[in-house]
Amino acid sequence: MKRFVREPLVHFLVLGALLFVGYGLFNRNSEPAPAQIVVSQGQLASIVETFTLIRQRSPTREELEGLIRERVREEVYYREALALGLDKDDLIIRRRLQQKLEFVSEDTAAQAAPSAADLNAYLQAHPDKFRVEQKFTFRQLYLDPQKRGANLAHDAAQLLAELTQAGGDTSVTAVGDPFPLGNSFSAETAGEVANRFGKKFAANLSELETGSWEGPVESSYGMHLVFLKERTEERPPALAEVRDAVRREWDDARRLGVNDEFYQGLLKHYTVTIEQPTAEAAK
Amino acid sequence: MNQMQRRSAMTRSTRLNRAAFGAIGLALVTGGMTHFAAAQNRPPADQTKIEQKKPEYSPYLDQNFPNRVYWGVAHVHTGYSFDAGMFGITLTPDDLFKVATGGEVVLDNGLRFKQDRPLDWVAITDHAEYMGISDEIRAGSPDLLANPQGKRWYEMSKQGPQEGVKAAIEAVVSMQNGKPVFDASKLTATAWAHATAAAEKWNQPGVFTTLHGFEWTSAPGGNNLHRTVIFRDNADRVSQVVPFSTFDSQDPADLWNYMDAYAKKTGGQVLAIPHNGNLSNGLMYTAETFDGKPMDPAYAETRAAHEPLLEATQIKGDSETNPYLSPNDEFANFERWDINFNKMEPAQNNVLHGNYVRSALRLGLEIDAKLGANPYKSGLIGGSDAHVGVVTQREDNFFGEFANGLPSPERWKTPLAMVNNDPSKGPLMSVWGEQAAGLGGVWARENTRDAIWDALKRKEVYATTGDRPIVRLFAGWDFVPADLDRPEPDFAANGYAHGVPMGGDLTKAPAGQHPVFMVHALRDPDGPNLDRIQIIKGWLGADGKTLERIYDIAVSGGRTIGPDGRCMTPVGSTVDVANATYTNSIGAAMLSAYWKDPEFDATQRAFYYVRVIQIPSPRWTAYDQKRFHIKMPDYVPMTVTDRAYTSPVWYSPAT
Repeated sequence: MKRFVREPLVHFLVLGALLFVGYGLFNRNSEPAPAQIVVSQGQLASIVETFTLIRQRSPTREELEGLIRERVREEVYYREALALGLDKDDLIIRRRLQQKLEFVSEDTAAQAAPSAADLNAYLQAHPDKFRVEQKFTFRQLYLDPQKRGANLAHDAAQLLAELTQAGGDTSVTAVGDPFPLGNSFSAETAGEVANRFGKKFAANLSELETGSWEGPVESSYGMHLVFLKERTEERPPALAEVRDAVRREWDDARRLGVNDEFYQGLLKHYTVTIEQPTAEAAK
Repeated sequence: MNQMQRRSAMTRSTRLNRAAFGAIGLALVTGGMTHFAAAQNRPPADQTKIEQKKPEYSPYLDQNFPNRVYWGVAHVHTGYSFDAGMFGITLTPDDLFKVATGGEVVLDNGLRFKQDRPLDWVAITDHAEYMGISDEIRAGSPDLLANPQGKRWYEMSKQGPQEGVKAAIEAVVSMQNGKPVFDASKLTATAWAHATAAAEKWNQPGVFTTLHGFEWTSAPGGNNLHRTVIFRDNADRVSQVVPFSTFDSQDPADLWNYMDAYAKKTGGQVLAIPHNGNLSNGLMYTAETFDGKPMDPAYAETRAAHEPLLEATQIKGDSETNPYLSPNDEFANFERWDINFNKMEPAQNNVLHGNYVRSALRLGLEIDAKLGANPYKSGLIGGSDAHVGVVTQREDNFFGEFANGLPSPERWKTPLAMVNNDPSKGPLMSVWGEQAAGLGGVWARENTRDAIWDALKRKEVYATTGDRPIVRLFAGWDFVPADLDRPEPDFAANGYAHGVPMGGDLTKAPAGQHPVFMVHALRDPDGPNLDRIQIIKGWLGADGKTLERIYDIAVSGGRTIGPDGRCMTPVGSTVDVANATYTNSIGAAMLSAYWKDPEFDATQRAFYYVRVIQIPSPRWTAYDQKRFHIKMPDYVPMTVTDRAYTSPVWYSPAT
């Protein structure tokens, strides 16, 4: 929502309003000298920039002159309309001003980049959002219940015995049934394992012995023999590991909360009285 | 050189090293293991031997092929889309990415939403037309209100969602005419800057990929020619352009020119994906150009080069095929939206061939024979198209296409369109007809922009109607039945070494050989079992007309496939509609098939794609009935047989 604050028009309006107020204060009782309208270098640059952004080319000389004439015309009308009080009690202008103040408050929040301490505080306050998941490095062999039928348990036991005897971290690319998810997984998070094999399998892995062939371990698909080479446990992260994620969440929380906070702050400056509706209006 | 470029340069050099390593490895390794690099003289698959060799520490050495499916969508909208926003959706790309990565948001009817599982990648594709206008409408911005049409929309939207829908329809009509009623180009540039910034913020190489994209919403006379446009690059390139809209041109050839101009200007890459051919009134897949002239070879090549994929399924209906086009396909009558958007009435049969992807693939063969170029040599992907600010494809977690389809006891009967736009004629389509769909499964080696996009480009992807079954396909000439039983990674290594994956090409049939297809399909770990695996074959007959045929190649539950290649025994159903449950007591968790085309003719062009059918499960409408304690009329379907469609493998005779 920075866009509204960046809009050259916004700068111009603010400037215009200040000029107007100044004009009114100092020239109230004298014959008005012709008012000044200055289209500054900066405003010219932003006219060109806006045009270029939309059309993907620079304006021609004629186009630029047209844009400047329009800007001057807009300014003249704007000042005269203010002088006539046309901004009062206009629903659209009221809404627009409300919206602009909201954008300003959001933008102020966005520009105030959080310090490391801010982020750390957010991380400490929401540890579950950023916890480093349990990770597994493992090999698995799949035993297809459809293919093995009644022999499933027997086959599993026999294969496990063979694997155990063959010893340790044996390459097992040529046994087991085909399984399209693959047989080797490196530093796979518990969430990812659950997504791919089902929650039950992931839960089983977190109980499994490391360094030996184990099983059969049940998954969403059937039975597996698993060699769990390494398991790293779940832990709270250091800020450096999750800084981007914390920043996204922090931004998000600010985005959702900031306007209300700002409004509540402003509201404190007011006493609000709401009159009882008349009997007629309440019907 | 930015981080991504460095990364891909690194990947490239690693690949070279791996290739060299693979070649050395081949000389060293013996036994039952076949390496990817072992392209010749492969040993037979050995099912019994446990290899005693001490393995390398890294389990991934010598595997240079895609080894994982990454799930995502290349088509979904946020409140930045005029129609989403004008219907009352205020969620932004930030919200959608938050949900896609596993977070929770509150939707615009106050309901909380969370996905069953995070997605791996997403391309948000808000409409280029009037992009960002909804913010202005909500705010009542003076720029908007200065315009009579803008003021009208503002006032309609203030009156509530139903009036907001009417305002959105007026915007749609202006798009059908190709003429904006409100110049939103400045808003679009701003919204695009926000969208690209959000995509950069959420892109996390290796964990979650965001692809920059938008939707070009051409619909002359209401006939849907929409495309999503998906970039490979980072914001430094993508933000050098603004989205191309139907107000720039309604002709897809002009979109392709825009894409070429982008590539030339930035050195980047971009592709387009047509969707909702089912609503195109026969215009999406024809033998003509936009102007109705016959295609020439250059046009056909240009189309295929820019549009490597077709969206086969999404919330607004499935576009695979139709019973009229495929009378022998008992699974063809699936989540259909056969609507003429020009007249707002049911589509006529005589346009359907231009609406569906299977007939497009067939037409492509015909055109290829005539012109030497196939404009429809495109893979298949599933999309969402949800306009509620989240991806919502699960039957048990369906939040609708538009704001009027957000969960409520009444949503099912809310009309989406009236016959001939005449309220007295009754609804043409209501929310109950929406399909909880779909996803794209992408075979890749890593979850990065370049890896995901490159897989889209080479068509190594498949569509599902919402669940996440794994489907792997290899086609080749000399696979033997034992190859099917090779465990991973040997199966894939052998498949790539001696054949092609989905999206690939076969040519130069060895004399007397028929193509062989090997398929593994594994159900979603949290989804319905599989009923069967099918091959859908299309080919060009000697008379220049195309034909199609379905082969069942693996069926569950001990059923048999007859000599005609079909199993006509249905798998049955375990669905308990009243409780919205099913059990996996029928079907199979995994099916595999080795299939050789029995009727192959080496002189005839052909395509083959795999369709995996799941067992019936409760449709989202059944969950609504259960959760809202309501009863819908009998014409509302309560079960669904969700499925997957792979990208085809094409055969063409050597020329």
